[in-house]
Order: sequence, then structure tokens, then C-alpha cells
Amino acid sequence: MAEVADLKDFIGRKFCENVGLSPEVLFGEDLSLGEVILRSEKMHNSVDLMEAFAKSSNALRKEYGVRVRLPALSLETPISRVMELFVQECQQGRNS
Amino acid sequence: MEATAYQNASLAAGLGESDTEPALQRPGVIRDLYRAFKEEGRTLMDITWEQHRHHESRRWSVMELLAAVRPEQLTELDRFVIWNAGRAEMTAKPSADRMSRLADAECRRFQSTEPAVASIIQSLGTWSRYWNEEESHHEMGFLQLTRMLGFASLDDATVLDYRKIFPDDDLLRTVTMLSFSEGIAAVNYGQYMRRVRDPGLKALFKHVGADEVQHMQYFISFAKAMVDSGAYPAKEAFAVAHLFLREGGELYGVAREQVEHRETHVNWWDHLEEGASEMVAAPESLERKRSLILHALKRITGISCASAEEVEDTWLELVGC
Repeated sequence: MAEVADLKDFIGRKFCENVGLSPEVLFGEDLSLGEVILRSEKMHNSVDLMEAFAKSSNALRKEYGVRVRLPALSLETPISRVMELFVQECQQGRNS
Repeated sequence: MEATAYQNASLAAGLGESDTEPALQRPGVIRDLYRAFKEEGRTLMDITWEQHRHHESRRWSVMELLAAVRPEQLTELDRFVIWNAGRAEMTAKPSADRMSRLADAECRRFQSTEPAVASIIQSLGTWSRYWNEEESHHEMGFLQLTRMLGFASLDDATVLDYRKIFPDDDLLRTVTMLSFSEGIAAVNYGQYMRRVRDPGLKALFKHVGADEVQHMQYFISFAKAMVDSGAYPAKEAFAVAHLFLREGGELYGVAREQVEHRETHVNWWDHLEEGASEMVAAPESLERKRSLILHALKRITGISCASAEEVEDTWLELVGC
């Protein structure tokens, strides 16, 4: 299993790519999921957001061989909490 | 064409002049709409006439059904369910209004490049008028009944709030979502119908539930045609199925832990009051809804999944990196 710092770096990059926001905005301001939808030009609603996380999950699977499954999250959830959940899922070592 | 339509209408009305004229086929939902337009050369007028015949053949009277309800025989739970159903049905109109607007915009997008797709979408937009009208029977049936039962009438501010038009989304997602919601509503009305003792109220639930099943079939047909055409990717239908079926997803309605507060519109499903929500979240009810969603997803995409996990796995594959 990769180091947590590496995982966070990878996941963070994928989140930014897939939601179309810079790290300074997304993580610097620790946006809530609702704010991500409002601030991103790529996102219109929670299904778009779900797809962005699905792409990040697929990238993790390709790179590290782990499968991340996310529960339903409220739009108030901050992005830092989503990152924690991704890392936790990776650490539980759910191999694909 | 007008002469044919007239002859058919005359036959349907029992005014046919000859025994040798063919009997009208029973109207129904066209299951393979893409093939109908693309390969069978059917026109929008053909399809609209079929929709119209189907609509007319299924009409029923709210006034007659309400006259058969015996308010004094209704239980507290009956009254509660009627109150909830009235509010639930209020939001069908803004959903249908959104559909006609969205369908017309999408139809124009394909008009010059993919005429069959433009026709499929126009047939959806056209059908939305029947859907809207049928839903008005549900809304008026339950709301008028709440007034007959002595509940306070909705004030104008509340009506305005419930009429907020739903925000636009990808058309395939929207149509898929509606096929699921209609199926869920049909299961809910079936649950209520089995519990109710008053024959009048039972009949009302039965008619409304049958309409919802028919709406589900139409939405499946439109979504399938959109996927069959290749203009809309199946992943969008899978995204909506995952949204509903995942842990804590939309399928669980008001019973789920996270229920969004929306400023843009009212989603009745999030607002069911206690009692009604327990009934619709009962295990047998959830199982029926799950199977209807899986069945609809298979009809729309041609891909069969047996569980929420399989839906998620397939959706992830379709989404890619």
C-alpha cells in the first residue's frame, strides 16, 4: 500500500482535474460539496459530482489496485472529509 | 391522413359503416421507439395518435371516484396518507413543465443532424402533455379529498412554492429518473391500496397507481430509444440508478440519513411525513422498488444487473478515468 501522503497527493490531483477547480480553491478553502457544484463550471448537480468522484475512484484503482466505494454524502460535507473517506477506504485495502 | 384518422375515430366511437373495416388495435406504449422512427418509417403523427388513443382509452373521472369515497369510514392513517399524497402530486406539474421545455430544446439540437433522435425527443415532449394532464387528476383527486376531510386548504404561497419548476439536467438522466420515480410511486400507491378498507378510496389509489405504472412504461420507452440511438450514453442511466440504489440513496426517500434541503424546488419524496414514510420504506416495499429499478435499467440500456453493487461496478466501468 502506498504512503498516505502519496495517496492524498494523487487523490487531490484527481479531484481537482475531475471537478475543474484548482487545489488552492478546492482544498485551500475546504469547499463543501454544494460549493464545489456552485463554483465549478463542469458541475451542475450532485450527479456530476458523483461522476467526478467515480472517475477519481477509477484512477485510484488503475494506479494502486484499490476499489473505493463512497456512501451518499450531504452537500454540506467538506472536501477534506471526502478525502479522508477515500484514504480510509484505501487503507482498508479493498483490493479490486 | 385525415380521412384515415376520421375513419379510425368513427370506428372507435361505434360509428363504423362496414363490418369489413379492421378493428382498432388496443392502444399501448410503443416499446421500440427508435426502430419505429428509424426502420419502420413511422412518423410523429403516427406516434402522437397512438399516444392520444392510449391517453383517451385510460381516462377516468376524479369527480366520480371522489363521490364514492365515504369520509366517515376513513382511518387516521388513511387521512394522513391522503394529505401526503396530495402534496406529493403537487410537484408533478413543475416536473412536466420542465420536461416539455427540456425536450423541445434537445429536439432542436438534433433536428438537422439526427432526425430520428429529434423525433424521439419531440414525441417525449408531446407526450408530456398527456402525462401532465393525468397527473392533474392525481393532484386534484387527493387535494380535493383533503378539503372534503376538513383539512385546511393549501394557501397560495404554498402552491407557488410547490410549483417551482425543477432545474434542468441531462435529458437521459431526467427521463431515467422519472421512470424510477413513477415506479416508486406505483409501489407506494399499491402499498396504500392494500391497507385501505373504504372501497372508494381503494379505487382512487388503484387508478392513480395504474397511471403511474403506465408513465413508468413510457419513460422507459423514451429512455431506451435515446440509448438505442447512440446519441445518449448508457452511463447516464446507470448514474441515476446508482444514485437511487446506493447505500443511503434516493430509493430510501425520507427514511435516509441525508435529506437535502433544496431552495430551487420541492421534492415531495423528501418530505413525506411520519406514518406514510414508514409504509413506503417497509422492506417488502423497498424490495419491489429495487426490482423495478433494475428491470427499468435493463430495458433502457440492455444491460442486466442483479444488485446495487453490480450497478455501481457497471457504472464505474462505463464512466472510465
